[in-house]
Amino acid sequence: MATTTNYAWETPDDTDLVKDGAAAIRTLGSSVDTTTKALNPSTTLGDIEYRSSTANTNTRLGIGTTGQVLTVSGGVPAWATPSSGGMTLISTTTLSGSSVTLSSIPQTYNELQLWVVNFDPSTGAQFRIAPNGGTTATDNVEVNYPGGGSPALNGYQGYMRNTNNFNAGTATNSIIAVFPAYTSTAARKSAYMTMGFLDSDGGNRTAAIFNKLECGQMSSLVLSPSTGTFDGGTAYLYGVK
Amino acid sequence: MKPMIRIHDIETNEVIDREMTDAEFADYEADQAAVAAEQQAKADAIAAKELAQEKLAKLGLTTDDLKALGL
Repeated sequence: MATTTNYAWETPDDTDLVKDGAAAIRTLGSSVDTTTKALNPSTTLGDIEYRSSTANTNTRLGIGTTGQVLTVSGGVPAWATPSSGGMTLISTTTLSGSSVTLSSIPQTYNELQLWVVNFDPSTGAQFRIAPNGGTTATDNVEVNYPGGGSPALNGYQGYMRNTNNFNAGTATNSIIAVFPAYTSTAARKSAYMTMGFLDSDGGNRTAAIFNKLECGQMSSLVLSPSTGTFDGGTAYLYGVK
Repeated sequence: MKPMIRIHDIETNEVIDREMTDAEFADYEADQAAVAAEQQAKADAIAAKELAQEKLAKLGLTTDDLKALGL
């Protein structure tokens, strides 16, 4: 019996009888179907295939979950959550009302980063971030430009803030806050935030605020203007591995 | 009507907008009073500085003169 070069599908010999043609075609078609399925075992959206240890037979790999990356495990491809170096968008929240609480923060990252874009207070106000809604003492050092680099202590409450008011009606203010080791149960931990904004005196200003927080393990962040309400802005919370 | 607050449960992605509770509102009012006092103190300090500078100017002095005197 003649066979094809690559997949050894049976084909009729030159001397076979014409009356056996239907059976020969059926045999060949069945072989093609079996081989094709073995090479393409996908069943579901996002599936990919890789070569198995068996010749001409691929293994199906179902799609991973959001944030996973393709890696190698046991000599074959596999989807896995990055163990380091990855930055995952955890949540996106439109700022509204007198305060916004981000609760049930996952405890599976090494660091949190909070990006606040286009913060717009209803009236001139500072921007506050209170881990766990805390109000206990914390020590801050703030460096402002313009306005000198002298440190300003404003550590009588357990939240991070700047001392110069953001201007109301200005939707170009941005803030980035970083919380390393946020899952630590240690009572005191370091954090910092930087910001660029138009202050209520009409000047463009940048500030960096370094904090020694009194908050323990962080499971929530309460964001608020020091007075008034949010007229706009979006908070993006990232987890960093 | 008490101020509204927003709570975003990240685990369920549920967003709730509600009024402050009585306890939250009491804390909020106390905090707002502290903010107002701080802002007033800041304004008072600026006004006092400007007044002092005016007095110096009337005497024909500047802050640089005071620095030269070691003050």
